[in-house]
Amino acid sequence: MTSCLEFRSLFHAGTNDPALLGHLRSCDPCLDYAAHLDPDVMFRAIGGEDLVPPGGVDAFVEDVMRAVHVRSKEDVVESHHVLSWPRRLAVAATIAASVVGGTLVFEHERQPLPAAVQVAAVTPRPAVAQVKLTTKPVVETYSSANATIVEVPSESAGDTTKIVMVIDDKLPADL
Amino acid sequence: MAVELRLMIPTRQAEPDDRELVQTIREGDELAFEQLVRRKTSKVYALCYRIIGNAEDAKDISQLVFIKLWENLEKYDPTYAFDTWLYRMVTNVAIDFMRNKQSRENAVNSNLRLVKTEAEADQGVLVQRKEIEQVFEDVSACLSPKQKTIFVMNQMDDLPSSEIAKILGCRESTVRNHLFNARKSMQVQLQKRYPEYARLWSAGSVE
Repeated sequence: MTSCLEFRSLFHAGTNDPALLGHLRSCDPCLDYAAHLDPDVMFRAIGGEDLVPPGGVDAFVEDVMRAVHVRSKEDVVESHHVLSWPRRLAVAATIAASVVGGTLVFEHERQPLPAAVQVAAVTPRPAVAQVKLTTKPVVETYSSANATIVEVPSESAGDTTKIVMVIDDKLPADL
Repeated sequence: MAVELRLMIPTRQAEPDDRELVQTIREGDELAFEQLVRRKTSKVYALCYRIIGNAEDAKDISQLVFIKLWENLEKYDPTYAFDTWLYRMVTNVAIDFMRNKQSRENAVNSNLRLVKTEAEADQGVLVQRKEIEQVFEDVSACLSPKQKTIFVMNQMDDLPSSEIAKILGCRESTVRNHLFNARKSMQVQLQKRYPEYARLWSAGSVE
């Protein structure tokens, strides 16, 4: 421990002696003395000692370790989400097997069938009773002195269908 | 008949050094990491506090440093001193924080400090450590985060410029330049806002 007397006899501008700086940092009168000789030491007086964070070292360390645990758990969860190499290989093999299998089945179906099978395939099926589709007019008879009949011209020469529009103000709404 | 006598003296197991601790942590020992955090907390916090100048922010930044340390421990090369690597991490995180903070505040406080009158200044000044802390916080607001970091490491942590250059990954001449400019800027600020201390400083040999 340096005394004030020793400090004042040993101190000189630009000193880096840890013992002198240590004294400087704990003694205001000597700091005042030194600052007049070497103003650079003025701010040096601030440093030199380790500080304790608010709440103390124990609480600080506890907070850090808690944060580290949280990070570690996050990393574990992330690594579970990412597939490992054997799993990736297994997935790749399954996909490849599906593609190859599907291609083989498809190619097999595209090959021409044997003759016997072809004959069987073209044998006509028994005729199903055909139902003749006819159109039935909704209005069978209609007479009106005010009606205007417009015939829509057919689009092609061979078309025998006639489309007729009947315009009549007095036509009942439910007709 | 020869008799061998063995003296059984209980010896206290020596504390592992930083490199050994890091090796143990890399092998998955979380308790070793806790030990390392406990060992370095005061140093890391002190450096953060002196750079940042605010206890709560310094605490948050220190915690962030240790979390980054945990995440990047694999990158540490044991051929270098652990403290140099740790200090580099501290300064990077603290400088980033200061830059963001400066861009937010844009040195709002720089002109709010009450300037002592010439008359008061003439009455002389007794340099007191407690007040110097406040003076430093005020006048160092004009420094860039890097300048302040270098000034703090050199003047308060007593690190030589060669060591600071290693920590910051720059040349020693760059560190000396930053120191010179930091002193110059602080002297101007001191003159403007604390003339009583500035008279003192200008009386001495400021480069």
